[in-house]
Amino acid sequence: MGASVEALHFQMTPALLVQSTVIGLSIGSIYILMALGLTLMFGMMHIINFAHGAVYMLGAFVIYYVFFQWGAPYFAAFVVAMLVLGAFGYLVERSIYRPIKGGIEPTLVALLALTTLLQAAGYPVFGTLDKHVPPVFSGTRNVLGVMISVERLMIIPVAGVLVVSLYLFINKTRMGAAMRAIEQDKEAAALQGVNVNVVNGLAFAVGFALAAAAGALMAPIFKLDPMMGEQPLLKAFIIIILGGLGSIPGAILGGLILGLIDSIVATALGAEPAFLLSFVFIILLLLFRPTGLFGHAP
Amino acid sequence: MPRNARIAALVVVVALLTLLPFVGGDYYIYLFVLVFINVILAASLRPSLSCGQLNIGHSAFMCIGAYTSALLAKDLGLPFELSLLGGAALAAAVGLGIGYPSLRLRGVYFAMVTVAFVEAVRLIASIWVPLTRGNAGLSGVPKPSILGMTLVTKTSQYYLGLALMLVVLVILGKLERSRLGLVWKSIGLADNLAQSLGVNIANYKLLAFTLGCFFAGVAGAFYAHFIRFLFPPEFGFLLATNILIYNFVGGRGHFAGPIVGAVFLSLLSEPFRGSAYETIFYSIVMLLTILFLPGGLITLPGKLAGLRWWKGAASESPSSAA
Repeated sequence: MGASVEALHFQMTPALLVQSTVIGLSIGSIYILMALGLTLMFGMMHIINFAHGAVYMLGAFVIYYVFFQWGAPYFAAFVVAMLVLGAFGYLVERSIYRPIKGGIEPTLVALLALTTLLQAAGYPVFGTLDKHVPPVFSGTRNVLGVMISVERLMIIPVAGVLVVSLYLFINKTRMGAAMRAIEQDKEAAALQGVNVNVVNGLAFAVGFALAAAAGALMAPIFKLDPMMGEQPLLKAFIIIILGGLGSIPGAILGGLILGLIDSIVATALGAEPAFLLSFVFIILLLLFRPTGLFGHAP
Repeated sequence: MPRNARIAALVVVVALLTLLPFVGGDYYIYLFVLVFINVILAASLRPSLSCGQLNIGHSAFMCIGAYTSALLAKDLGLPFELSLLGGAALAAAVGLGIGYPSLRLRGVYFAMVTVAFVEAVRLIASIWVPLTRGNAGLSGVPKPSILGMTLVTKTSQYYLGLALMLVVLVILGKLERSRLGLVWKSIGLADNLAQSLGVNIANYKLLAFTLGCFFAGVAGAFYAHFIRFLFPPEFGFLLATNILIYNFVGGRGHFAGPIVGAVFLSLLSEPFRGSAYETIFYSIVMLLTILFLPGGLITLPGKLAGLRWWKGAASESPSSAA
């Protein structure tokens, strides 16, 4: 993912450092949106939603059709992506997660199958050629003497608003309190009158909507194809291992760290070695600090 | 099934498979060799699945076995027997290296590491161009040979594949029936209990995982010398998911489960092979199985028998009431 600069004759100038920091922040914001839903769903249901990358892809394709093909305003298309895929998330909880009472493994495999289904169905449905969405925000801004495209800069405040809204939702609303209750103790929450099924469905909806938002934000920047969600999904895995599964502050901090490392290393070495490096990093982390950097039992 | 009937059924299946090249053409030979490879892959995942480890990266070890064996034979001129063992050994060694840090963790972490690992291996195969030829693909892999004799025809390679599959299945089957298999099963059922009874669960899990990697390496090595062309994207996440799907569709309750799953899915998906519809077919069968037949295909005969009994009972009860 991202622009890869050849490592030959590479020199990290201050301008390049500022540029890769800003790009790292915007990529990091995307990773955070992905990781937040994953970590929320893990905290409550102890599952990893493998379909998260496919939902990201679908979010980007909603932008392609609603904004680019049908000419709706970008932010309307953005809201449509979040609503439609949020509803899809609730449906997945209702039709896949809830009926499988056989434990975590069948659920994970079912989510894997859903992932490969959505990816593979993308080819006949969307076509095999890469799609492109024209830029929404044109022009560049001067950031500390470096020109950065507004397109990438805009990701940071939009993601910021979503993260703050999620924080307020979880900490200030009744539904959020129900989610926290389930995370602490599902049985006790149910005994206190929390409708566990509905709240789990809501967590699916919130997680899917955030992944859709991440895809919708990236649609004007990268090319669209049915497999485009794999890389952000793997990055989100790395982030939640880094931040500790189930920890929301961990996901935010982990996303920022990985975004920065990623962008600086990718600028220096290219995108693929950067991914390999982050994988080595996971293995080392698991060896020496299996609970993640910020603690949280595995 | 009683033991004698089971042995008779096995003999019939093996005899039919032995006769297949005489009745079917090259197409069937090719198709069934791919089935044999899928059966080895599916069965080799079973030990680590039965101790409750969801390995979503099994194709990575097939990839390592395939490339190692192909390169040992092509660039160093090693005979097939040695290159196959070399490929399997390296797959097992890498499995040990990855498994050691991640197997101490519980399921979900492990699953995520294996997903990331399969991507990492695929990337190494595409980036390390001087060794693997990258995404241009590695072509001209030598045909398999035995004791210096090259197996030129596809038919002879078919028998090699059949023999390899049978050997692997016999070894895995014996292991599953041994004390080791019982320990694996006990870890999968209740790892805390097993540990409290003095089972070193980490070591046993690591053994199951490494053994699976070894046989995935065997499958990969044979694949490399049969297809004779290796292409990194073929060993990605999708193949790894398929191997898991064989196990879950076939059923995890019995040794035959992954075998049934691999044969059933590889043969039925044949009309769509290589297209997106193959994956769509696999995924839909998987979702339907998990939702409506959680024990997998091997529980289907029992369920059908139960259904007939239930219907019989239902139709009889009104008459007895009357």
